[in-house]
Amino acid sequence: MTDVSNKDSNESSATTTPAHLIDKLDQAIALLEAARDFAKVGKLPRVLDTCRRVLLHQDGLSVIEARAEALENAGVFLGSDWAAPQHLVAPLSRHALTGSVDILLIETLSDLRLLAVARGQYRHPLISAEYANQYLTQILAINLDLLFNPPDEARRLHQGRLTFLPQALLEHLASHIGYEQIVDKLIGEIWRVLEQRPIQTGPAKQMITRIAACQYDPEIALTGAGADRLVSSLFGPTRASREDPGLEVYQERLATMDEMTLQTEASGFARAMHDTGLVSAYHPLLLLHLLENQENLLADALGLSSTGRDCMLCYRQLVHALIHQAVTPQTPQSIYGLALMLERGILYQSPLAPALWRQLRLQLCPEAINRLALVSLPDVPAETRLMEGVLCMLGQPLGVGQGNNPTCQSARALSMWSCNDPDYLLQMVAWAARDDEIIMHFEGQPVSSRLAGAGVALSAPIDLDPVSMVVVPHLDRIYAEMGRRCIGRVGDPHRWINPEFHGWWTGRGFRIGVDVQTGLLFETETFLRHFYASYHPFYNGNQPLIHPQPAGIAVTDSAARFIGWHAVTILRVGLDQESVMRVYFYNPNNDSGQDWGNGVVVSTAGQGERYGEASLPFEEFASRLYIFHYDPLEHGVLAAISAEELHRVMTMIQGSWGESRLPETPMQMLPD
Amino acid sequence: MTAPIKKDVNKGYIALLGWSLNAVEAAANFDRRYIVVAPDWAEPYCTEHNIPYLPWNFERLNDRSMEIAEKLRDLGVDAAVPLFEETVEWAGAINSVLMDNPRLFGQSMLMRDKSLMKRRAQLGGIRVGIFEEAHDRDDVIRFLKRVNQTLLKLDGDPNDPIHFKAFDKAGCLGHRVIRTPDDVDAIPEEEFPALMESHLDGWEFAVEAWIHNGKIAFLNISEYVTLGYSVYVPASPALEEYRPQIRQQIEKLIRTFDIEFGFIHPEYFVTSDGEMYFGEVAYRPPGFKVFELLERVYGFNAYQALILCFDPKATAEEVREFFPREVVDAKGYAGCFGVYPRRRVVSTLQIPEETESHAYFESHELTAPMEETVTKRTAFGTHWGLVYFVGDDADTLHKLLKHQEELDFYL
Repeated sequence: MTDVSNKDSNESSATTTPAHLIDKLDQAIALLEAARDFAKVGKLPRVLDTCRRVLLHQDGLSVIEARAEALENAGVFLGSDWAAPQHLVAPLSRHALTGSVDILLIETLSDLRLLAVARGQYRHPLISAEYANQYLTQILAINLDLLFNPPDEARRLHQGRLTFLPQALLEHLASHIGYEQIVDKLIGEIWRVLEQRPIQTGPAKQMITRIAACQYDPEIALTGAGADRLVSSLFGPTRASREDPGLEVYQERLATMDEMTLQTEASGFARAMHDTGLVSAYHPLLLLHLLENQENLLADALGLSSTGRDCMLCYRQLVHALIHQAVTPQTPQSIYGLALMLERGILYQSPLAPALWRQLRLQLCPEAINRLALVSLPDVPAETRLMEGVLCMLGQPLGVGQGNNPTCQSARALSMWSCNDPDYLLQMVAWAARDDEIIMHFEGQPVSSRLAGAGVALSAPIDLDPVSMVVVPHLDRIYAEMGRRCIGRVGDPHRWINPEFHGWWTGRGFRIGVDVQTGLLFETETFLRHFYASYHPFYNGNQPLIHPQPAGIAVTDSAARFIGWHAVTILRVGLDQESVMRVYFYNPNNDSGQDWGNGVVVSTAGQGERYGEASLPFEEFASRLYIFHYDPLEHGVLAAISAEELHRVMTMIQGSWGESRLPETPMQMLPD
Repeated sequence: MTAPIKKDVNKGYIALLGWSLNAVEAAANFDRRYIVVAPDWAEPYCTEHNIPYLPWNFERLNDRSMEIAEKLRDLGVDAAVPLFEETVEWAGAINSVLMDNPRLFGQSMLMRDKSLMKRRAQLGGIRVGIFEEAHDRDDVIRFLKRVNQTLLKLDGDPNDPIHFKAFDKAGCLGHRVIRTPDDVDAIPEEEFPALMESHLDGWEFAVEAWIHNGKIAFLNISEYVTLGYSVYVPASPALEEYRPQIRQQIEKLIRTFDIEFGFIHPEYFVTSDGEMYFGEVAYRPPGFKVFELLERVYGFNAYQALILCFDPKATAEEVREFFPREVVDAKGYAGCFGVYPRRRVVSTLQIPEETESHAYFESHELTAPMEETVTKRTAFGTHWGLVYFVGDDADTLHKLLKHQEELDFYL
């Protein structure tokens, strides 16, 4: 377990800030304060740089915190987003804390200011102490992993001598806000993330480990419900593992258990696993034990329904081989992936079983082994880690995340293949892992991932699930190359790329709501009527969506300001339990629960979502949509949406990402 | 936020020629009315921040020069203050109209031509080194040879260097040190005509002098640690010992150039025998942010001082009260170091730890490199940014500034 006071990794100098440096800071602040607004920009670098030097000292955070009000009044945040703390978005702090020195510094100053507000030392005109407190709690929850993860290479490169700062800052915040508050929030946060059933559980597991440490701390009173379920699902989900005895002891206990006890253990593990999506390291020991000694309990240990049980019995040998290769205490999530894959019944698709046999015997190329080593514990064979990833991707198609990389297209493709064309996915994995090359075709011409130039991501991703680690670099280069082959064409390249890249089922019909040349809104009303006609069951003859379809979203922040274009998959459209028509979609972003502003909040649970799905009411989704595909042979007539509904959607567009994109001629006239 | 300063309509109305944010800020905080005369790219900024502004593109003087002078006169402007070398002759032309004194224009032209300037100084009995004008590379070779013959060098002895300065460039721009014919070949065509001077081994320093009614109102000596790299104010006690002689030299300069008001920034050498040689003089604020250094140690705003000394309505009493006492009123020493990348290929900015943890280190204005390959320095080129130091001891500061030359700021 992680030591709560992780002082060793704190690289800041152990000295206190020298008086002359504090004087210089105060002088720099005074100069900024005295400057006229037009000249402040020239005085700011000195303030920031002096703050940076102060922060290199042990008491630097306190020194800055004590000057938080002076800094803000002097104009440190003037003209930036931080000037309006009431609009700050906690999730963006992550980017700031892992970004380059300048943005890290501003974020640090801002967070310390909020701390001063939260502690009642600074009465802020725009935010209350309670608000500051709540916001900092979110910051801590979102960045808690920075508290115990060693900094990655990117941060070392960008932050230099300040690499220690995010951790020191979060510790400083936590020690004043109080761990118990974060822990409670954190528990809620972990549950929210886990409800989306991500393939990558590392961050959640680390946070739970942290909570477990708090449970043993007598000074922290845990009140949050659900902490126990989280902690026990990892460290003691069953009667025989309740007190976290350690793997060796548990292995010994297994040897002495009778069938009844094994049965209890099996269902205990299965319950915890399906409850949280997390798998305890003890679970693999039981599964392997059952495989040798009590095979009849295997289905119980996997928590299978009759579908999964049936599937397992049909493919008994294959399932055994998969368990042997993939399931170890270092790769426990493979069990969850296996269970969900069996439940999906996809093994009944005839290419799948032989494709998995190929995967079992696949000779990995050195490049793949190296990439897998980046995301594996030591001593875990690359084949094992990759198979764990394969099982998880097949079992949790909507659990694929793009990590901290601009590769949403590739993540979306992997997820879509797992949903729709799993044997094709396995083919891709085989090519990438064995041959270090994927060849796709673009309009009849081969595109090799080896010959293609750079991808969208400038450096190879290092924070993905095993399958993505191996396949995404190839997909990303191919995607970028397809884009290059569209250079010079009039219109948005996704029109041609999406069907070729994702699969034949992507509609060749294509509509975009933005004029590519000018970036202005384009034929918005027709665009919307067409979208309704293609996707809305009330307007398309009650036809459920057949294949997942790629779509483009204009992502907005919580103040409804345009952030960027983003790739999602429309999965289905249907009524929720309150008879609201909703679009259920997959977002390759790691956490789909986002606030897009003006009341558009993406839901991930509680509105009929399946694990990994995000959803919005149809109108709200339509208000952020800018690209969709359709079958040109089935597009039907434009939907006769009511004027009010059309007006509502258009108002939402104009009030968010469309605000600065209004065409010179007014948007089409609304019908009477 | 700072409250707007109340402007005194009984005092002068000043036009600032050229765009300098620090100068604008100083003017905004001073009791004189002012207007910024700058190229039209400054307009959005001035409009946004309510800065009084008149667009003008300072190219070569032409037949439209009268137009700007008349515009300013019609606005009621009393004096034009040049902020950059390129605006010195404009200020001369404009002030000759505003003050109805045609001589001011001729005076400013002297300040813009290094060769004329030297001859005038020589005529005034001021000591100058050997100098000559060069119109092409042959002139340079001939001068290099002759100077070294004069120094009784034999063929094959390493040459004493000569200095080569484009006629109309400010400060170190276009300033080259020439030792060999190869150096001569490297001079680009556009730097001719130029002034060539013999090299003087000695102590180089610069002076900032504010002049009111033909008298020195305040005189600062800036000590160079290494020309083109570092400077600090006030000068070390050793150099300050020469202050009386330096003052005499400046008074001579003021007489010779017939300067009644404003500000001059001359450069001198003191040779080992205590003789002072005039280098050149500029009629505008110095580079290397000496104004900022002065404010740091003396507390007065040097731009405001500039405005004051140009303002024909400023009284002798006001001028006297504005300036602190020279040297004794300075709180410590302030210096800055101009950083040049030392490597051919750089990717990041990293302030050396020993530099930024030094108690004298105050701030820097360096930015991350935009390009990875460093252009080879030809002339005393443009540094990549300044690093500022402040401390109590001149000697420590001097050594500290010198030491920076051995450190890498860009890796």
